[in-house]
Amino acid sequence: MHRKRGFSMEKKKARWGWVFVTPSLILFAAFSFYPIINAFYESFFNRNLLSLRPPRFVGWDNYIYLFGSKDFWLSVQNTLIFTLGTFLPLLVFSLVLAVFIMSIKRFRRFFQMAFYSPAVLSSVVAALIWLLIFDPRGLANQGLNALMGTAGVNYNWLSTTGMLRLSTIVVYFWKYIGYFTVIFVSGIGSIPDTLREAALIDGANRWTLFWYVTLPLLKPTTMLVSIMAMIQCLKTFSTQYMFTNAGAPTRPINVITLNIYNTAIKDYRIGRATAMSILLFIVMFAFTWLQLKVSRTEEVSHM
Amino acid sequence: MKKTSALLLIALSLLLAASVVGAQTIELTYWTHTDDNRTVIENRYIEEFQAMYPNVTIKRVVNEASKMGDLMLTAFSANNAPDIFNLPIEQEYGYMMHHRVAPVNYKAIGYKDAQDLASQYMPGTFDTVTMDGQIYGLPLELTNWSIYINKNIFRDAGLDPETDYPKTWEEMIEVADKLTLRNGEIITRRGFDFRYPYYLVAMLPMVEQLGGQLLSEDGKTAIVNDEAWIQVFEWFRTWGPHGRNLGSPTYTAARKIFNMDNNDIAMCLTGFYQQGRIRVDNPEFYDSGEWMVVPFPVFENAVNDVGCSYYGHFMMVNAQASAEKQEWAWKFIAYMLDHGWEYLETVNIIQPRQDLLDDPRYMELPYMNVFMDDMARSHMVFLHENGFQFERFIKEAIESVMLSNMPSDEALDILRERIQEVLDDSY
Amino acid sequence: MNAHKTRSWRLEKMATTLIWLFLIVACILVVIPLVFMFTAAAMPARDILRMPYPWIPEGFYWQNFWNGLRGPEGTFIFIRNALNSLIVAGTVSAFTVLFSSLAGYGLAKFEFKGRTLVFMLIMATMMIPFEAIMIPLYMVAMRMGLQDTYTGLILPFLANAFGVFLMRQYLITFPDEILDAARIDGASEPRIFSRIVLPSSGPAVATLAILAFRSQWDSLLWPLLVVQSDEMKTIPLYITKFMAETHSDEGIMMAIAVMASIPMIVLFLTLSKYFINKDGLTSATKG
Repeated sequence: MHRKRGFSMEKKKARWGWVFVTPSLILFAAFSFYPIINAFYESFFNRNLLSLRPPRFVGWDNYIYLFGSKDFWLSVQNTLIFTLGTFLPLLVFSLVLAVFIMSIKRFRRFFQMAFYSPAVLSSVVAALIWLLIFDPRGLANQGLNALMGTAGVNYNWLSTTGMLRLSTIVVYFWKYIGYFTVIFVSGIGSIPDTLREAALIDGANRWTLFWYVTLPLLKPTTMLVSIMAMIQCLKTFSTQYMFTNAGAPTRPINVITLNIYNTAIKDYRIGRATAMSILLFIVMFAFTWLQLKVSRTEEVSHM
Repeated sequence: MKKTSALLLIALSLLLAASVVGAQTIELTYWTHTDDNRTVIENRYIEEFQAMYPNVTIKRVVNEASKMGDLMLTAFSANNAPDIFNLPIEQEYGYMMHHRVAPVNYKAIGYKDAQDLASQYMPGTFDTVTMDGQIYGLPLELTNWSIYINKNIFRDAGLDPETDYPKTWEEMIEVADKLTLRNGEIITRRGFDFRYPYYLVAMLPMVEQLGGQLLSEDGKTAIVNDEAWIQVFEWFRTWGPHGRNLGSPTYTAARKIFNMDNNDIAMCLTGFYQQGRIRVDNPEFYDSGEWMVVPFPVFENAVNDVGCSYYGHFMMVNAQASAEKQEWAWKFIAYMLDHGWEYLETVNIIQPRQDLLDDPRYMELPYMNVFMDDMARSHMVFLHENGFQFERFIKEAIESVMLSNMPSDEALDILRERIQEVLDDSY
Repeated sequence: MNAHKTRSWRLEKMATTLIWLFLIVACILVVIPLVFMFTAAAMPARDILRMPYPWIPEGFYWQNFWNGLRGPEGTFIFIRNALNSLIVAGTVSAFTVLFSSLAGYGLAKFEFKGRTLVFMLIMATMMIPFEAIMIPLYMVAMRMGLQDTYTGLILPFLANAFGVFLMRQYLITFPDEILDAARIDGASEPRIFSRIVLPSSGPAVATLAILAFRSQWDSLLWPLLVVQSDEMKTIPLYITKFMAETHSDEGIMMAIAVMASIPMIVLFLTLSKYFINKDGLTSATKG
């Protein structure tokens, strides 16, 4: 009899579980699952957005085309360059900044807020500001000229391939450095003081403390930050969109998301655009799956 | 007897009520691009029209011109497009080809048929919007671009604007160089800058001046006459930061700052309507007469004297709107466009209507003769269903050469490949 | 022994000074663009691109703000657009918190068959880049008649996988004893949720609320597709409208940028204490 009561309570609990989860599930079904399945479906057709004729089934043609397309691989290259070029500095600098912040006694919150502040602006606003800064007459040239002791040199922030890519990386880096610094600060902050004190008593100085105590303990956080940063970089769109709309050349910064948008909206090639989206989805799936695995292991305590 | 006649009366009155209800309120949506001057007068036309026909309401929505193409596309693809809209003809072409827009309702606007309508306009006006003998749009404007000059800056550089203005593209480089002020490598005042995103309208004629074409006669092959294309690419390279450093797409568009007379741009490529904007933005500059218009330059070794292409905006009606809505739509469009002279005076856009062109005041408008002469030696902008895809490819080619310093022949090969691919692909 | 102590003390001192220097320089570099935005908003356009940049504006050029508010057609539509952004971001934020905490709570504290599958499915949606689904999503919205409406702007974003993940992570550590005690006391599940669970999820809720608000405030692509009329535009659309055809006065653009950023800045300053303290994020938000 006792067992029966416990059993029905479990059932009741199970039902409540479903009740709580269902509203979100419905929304996900309508606005995430259905569209991605639809997108997958679309990628097997060639549809002209304007024509009232039904779309034409082409099977794997869109995918075959993409794998043989120089334009597509250029997008892949651009995305990779941007992602690696952004997330590596983000990782390193946010870690360094976090360690520095935690090593000083006061003003910690002030510095964190200062570094975080760019994240508060919308990417459209950020792009506006940086477009002015990167203008040949703007602060970027003035600053670099002052630093290098040159006069009136135009570093072509928005024109030449290398500089343009660097510019987009700078904007993204600027926007997210604070976000990841705060995460690292939290990671360091969760290291129990007892560990640090023990190490210090054992004769560790600042450097060995960092290298042999802090860093290993931060490994899960580091992994988490890397993957989050990488995924964020793979998703980049607004910066490249705003820059190319303002006159910067498209080829060097034609990342996959921008390519998808242009292919769908400007070329009307829905089939090809959705095929690209599916490929991007697969890549991001792999990374997010990694992130989840890592955050699971992070739940294991520091001891 | 009485009962049946009572019933009959009721039936008749119901029928009458139904027909009154049937002539329900018609709501038309009208999408167009931003133009402060035009918005003012068109809002007035809407009020007047609604006063004349109380059962019709018109909702006018504006978006910036560069976004209109995308917006129209997404709206049409979702079968959710406005009843009335206008776009540049090169963007409207596809809609016509896929029968997404309706032919003009000639009777509703007072014409017998297509020929009757066409005869009221400049010959050739409707060529690009005629399909199978039917006309699919009414022209809002036909525009070409010529070179505006700021006389003050010319004199400041020691040049005489009346005689020293560039007549060839080679001269353009030299004159712009004299007018350009720099801080080291950084340009603070440009002599001229190009109308960058609009390559089909402004850049393709340059290629055609040298005997090149975008497509072969039969429309099956991309790029004709490589040397012409490469010469134009090289001209742009010379213009850009890796050449003589005279301008670049990354600076603010020339026509946007020309009006301010702020010593930052001496020449720009734009249409007759610019004057209206100058008049509003900077009346002193307008009244001072310190500006002028000169013809579109040609290359020294040009084989054709081609001016900047002209493009048109046509008002079109959604084919998926009900027949009644379509009729009212055309009525409203015709009502608006009948104010030809007001459009000309207030907005500075030209409808190619014969009555307008024959008006004696017409040729007396400032520099109208320059624009008309230029138009006479030009042709309608290149039209193709995939036209603006090609324009995007050209844009990327020029940017690669100008800004990324790619060799011209490489850029040309990539361009050719991309266009050819689109041509070979058929839905 | 004394000498050894002094040397390592001096090294320490040097290290600390270098660290301070590094932090201060980095801080300045990060903050400069923001200072630029604020100062440029207060100067006329022709001063902004002067070389060298005149950092201190000669008096407050209020015309930038006035013209930014007025809009290109003089209709002050910016106010309406800002309101739209607020309404959309606020509603999405509120409902995201609601739905995500409901789902997170269900996943964290209730065992039911298929729970892992549901969780995995929801997580999978995080990997779907928006560009991949924007066209089908647009078709869905159109079919439901949601174009140019608040609902259309809000609805697709109420399902937030990251939100669910966040709340679940946070609520997993919520002590079961409290819940069981409440149940024994006869409280119903909804009551437990609204009276006990939700109020004590402050940090997680605040973080989620801010993130959701910010992401909506920022949103460009979806409104670009869905909004058709001037009145329903959001701030990013207003900005791109202003930038595009007619005028792109830099001063006005920066003034609009400032005005557009004010709510986020206010939110940041008031709510940051929830997720930035001297030890960084609370454990709730580590995920």
